[in-house]
Amino acid sequence: MLLNPEVLTLLILDFVFAFFGIIAFILSVKIFLKWDLSSTSESQYRLEKQAFLASTIIKYIFLIKVPLFLFFVFTLDKIADVLVGAMCGAGVVDASGYGIYLLLLKILNIYIFAFWLTLHFNDMKKEQQPYTRLKFGVFIPIFFLFMAELIVEYFMFSDIDIHQMVDCCGTLYSNSSASYISVLFKINTVFLVGLFYGTYIAMFLSYLYKKRYIFSVLNVLFLFISIVSLIMFFGTYIYELPTHHCPFCFLQKDYNYVGYLIYVLLFVGTFNGIVCMFLDRFKTSLYFNSLYVVLVSSYVVVYYLKNGVLL
Amino acid sequence: MLFQLMLYLIHTMEIKMRDKINLYLIEYAINAILRDKYKNFFILSIFTMLTFLLSSVFFITNSIKYELDLTLDSLPQIIVQKTKAGRVYDIDADIVDDILNISGVNNAVARVWGYYYFENIGVNFTLVGVEEFEKQYKNSLEKIVQKTTLEDANRSIMLVGRGVKDMMSKSYYDKYFNFIKPDGSLKKVFIGGVFDADTQLESNDMIVMSKDTLRDIFDMDASKATDIVVEVSNPKEIPTVALKIKQKYPDVRVITNDDLRVSYENIFDYKSGVFLALFIISLFTFFMIVYDKASGLSGEQKKEIGILKAIGWRVDDVLKEKFYESFIISFFSYLLGVSFAFVFVYILQAPWLRDIFVGYSDLKPVFELPFVLDIETLLLVFFLSVPIYISATIIPSWRVATLEADEVIR
Amino acid sequence: MIQLKDITKRYEINKNNTITALKDINLEIKEGELIVLKGASGSGKSTILSLIAGLSKPTSGEVVIDAKHISKLPDNFASIFRRDNIGFIFQKYNLIPNLSVEENILLPLIPLNLDTKVAELKLQKVMDKFEIIHKKNNIVKNLSGGEQQRVAIARANVNDPKIILADEPTANLDKKLSISFIEILKQMKSSNKTIIVATHDPLFFGLDFVDREIEISRGNII
Repeated sequence: MLLNPEVLTLLILDFVFAFFGIIAFILSVKIFLKWDLSSTSESQYRLEKQAFLASTIIKYIFLIKVPLFLFFVFTLDKIADVLVGAMCGAGVVDASGYGIYLLLLKILNIYIFAFWLTLHFNDMKKEQQPYTRLKFGVFIPIFFLFMAELIVEYFMFSDIDIHQMVDCCGTLYSNSSASYISVLFKINTVFLVGLFYGTYIAMFLSYLYKKRYIFSVLNVLFLFISIVSLIMFFGTYIYELPTHHCPFCFLQKDYNYVGYLIYVLLFVGTFNGIVCMFLDRFKTSLYFNSLYVVLVSSYVVVYYLKNGVLL
Repeated sequence: MLFQLMLYLIHTMEIKMRDKINLYLIEYAINAILRDKYKNFFILSIFTMLTFLLSSVFFITNSIKYELDLTLDSLPQIIVQKTKAGRVYDIDADIVDDILNISGVNNAVARVWGYYYFENIGVNFTLVGVEEFEKQYKNSLEKIVQKTTLEDANRSIMLVGRGVKDMMSKSYYDKYFNFIKPDGSLKKVFIGGVFDADTQLESNDMIVMSKDTLRDIFDMDASKATDIVVEVSNPKEIPTVALKIKQKYPDVRVITNDDLRVSYENIFDYKSGVFLALFIISLFTFFMIVYDKASGLSGEQKKEIGILKAIGWRVDDVLKEKFYESFIISFFSYLLGVSFAFVFVYILQAPWLRDIFVGYSDLKPVFELPFVLDIETLLLVFFLSVPIYISATIIPSWRVATLEADEVIR
Repeated sequence: MIQLKDITKRYEINKNNTITALKDINLEIKEGELIVLKGASGSGKSTILSLIAGLSKPTSGEVVIDAKHISKLPDNFASIFRRDNIGFIFQKYNLIPNLSVEENILLPLIPLNLDTKVAELKLQKVMDKFEIIHKKNNIVKNLSGGEQQRVAIARANVNDPKIILADEPTANLDKKLSISFIEILKQMKSSNKTIIVATHDPLFFGLDFVDREIEISRGNII
């Protein structure tokens, strides 16, 4: 399994990231401990220069990470072809105990890196550079999360046994499965959909009333509710099958890769929404979130128009 | 309201774009690259060479996989073989009847075939036995059987593939061929004709004859067969049927077409994986070269950066410019490397390189590498080249950007 | 207005070797003044210029320009300040030889990412003023000494800075070019720019349009 070219590529880049990440980490520790902008000593000047290196490394890692994540999803799909029983990425994720953690870690890290960069850009805009110490201090735990992702990625891929059959999303995402997913099925669908649209309207209202913190919190809620409602309700309209709940299958060619659009819209929207706690990104967030709502709703509407009934 | 929102967003995106992309800077970067012609040309060539090799390997393996997939599609869904002590033995032909009784099974045929080693030239022929009135398990065979009679009152006739005909002619066997039986005696079989089957990879070394002739050549009992192929009406049922056969006959090995596909894919991935491992080493070396070249700045270049900083360029501006330089060089090499690979593999048909993957033998079928364009492969090569090059330039660029400008003034 | 308050600048060559370039310097320059900093090489006048430009930071003391504490600004902001407010004329011009006149003058504007029309306008204005516009597409290394001089001056002025700093501008020039430089200096003075020239060229001494002559020797003002 490890000798699959796609997996090897991911691991090679992980290695490069780890190398530079460690450099950034060491610098972050130094800066966090000794930074003093008012000092005119040689060591402070050196530290200022090193701050540039650290932030450049972090920018680089983030810049590559985002398209690499898409590539990662692609790779999961490709491995699904070789794994007996897997029909889409869901099967691969489930093939190893590490799978779901890796996926969550990756998404989490992208959010976190994006936050860090936002913090960085705002820091550099001010003459006092007020957040420098904070941002490098914050990078320290981020680094550990980041290394965790790399290590888990290595373990997950070496764990996959091509000779072992895996469950397809059909069994994973069904009422009868014994996993955490089955809990979701207990939730009433009408309630869920209502919650989804309700949260969206609440976000809109909080924007009109300029309530920053409420807006941010609602975005966090919206992210989770969207994913759950996507699996439970909207996904079935994309597949036009009431039992197909897989959140991965619509990333495939058969559905025009719409999955990528859906997730990108959702992530960009909610990320900007959460960032509204410090910055004015209301409009961006609303724009992307609205597009997301329109997109998933359109599948339901189109289905209804075509067939006259709902699933 | 939504419309206003859209307009606003397009406007902000436009501003953000201009914030992020500085055309003047890009132009300066291109100019800077051209001003240092020799060094940059050297790096460009090596890098293009690396991406070229890598892309070629992937293009070739993709094409072979594709061709193989086509071949495998025409292979039987389930093959049943008898094994004893881990080796394959002749199977009882009447197991076919039992299998036909399993629900979901469309057809089951006992196959009689084998490899014949032609010592003179050192090649293996694949001998396939057919029964004229039996439904063939492969359409291509069906066509062949309809063409000629394979058994005459007096003599045995066979049909041969192109490659076989050529091999036999080389040994002056033009109208017939003498097979050497296990007991040393000869079996003369007349060449009735030459066929071209559907796919090139498999038919080149094939000989079609009647089952009786074949049994004769290999000294196989009339009640035995080489293996049994099973056709299942619903492809999704294949694993279930395979399981049932296995349960009924514990000493048989049941291979499904999926198993075959997976094992072939793994062989290919293994081979390209090995290649990739070698590539890593060269990439590492290249990393060192790039780092070295990028760090070694001439006094002239240091001065130039010093001037820029003195006239108001920030460290971030210099970093950005250096980034543009490395991105342009690496991306350009990537495009060149992929394009060259494209020409090399699909137009020139990859001389020398394809032998590593196709296998080298005299009966190597002459086939054309089909054109397979895979976005994933392009992305794969991209991620293996561009980000690594850029990472090699991070530290040198930073060193340059943080030079003390006041030394320039002296 | 430019103020240097209790400026000391030390350079660390290595662990044991430190050079004191400036010691407890106090200097005040009013807006619109034309100052000549006199002194031999190594006296510290170039250091003063680089401190005013924010190119280096003092070991102790402060540089304040128009109430802005330049010496305390982080690199990004110091560079922005320099870009917007200071025009530097170097000893050897320091033009990029294989670029054209226009490209050289454009250099300070590149990071600004201006609208094409705005940039064009600025370029035009300054090339006109220093009479180099007719050669705007010529490659700099093919120009005469005098023309290169004008390109260097044009580049320093393209952003219309308030302060012009010139470091030994005539050190490599013959008398004729030196005199033409002094003429151009007069021109710039009349546009109310604050100009500081660091030089040991006697041609600059005793000129009538110079407001003050300050002498530096071994890191101290005399």
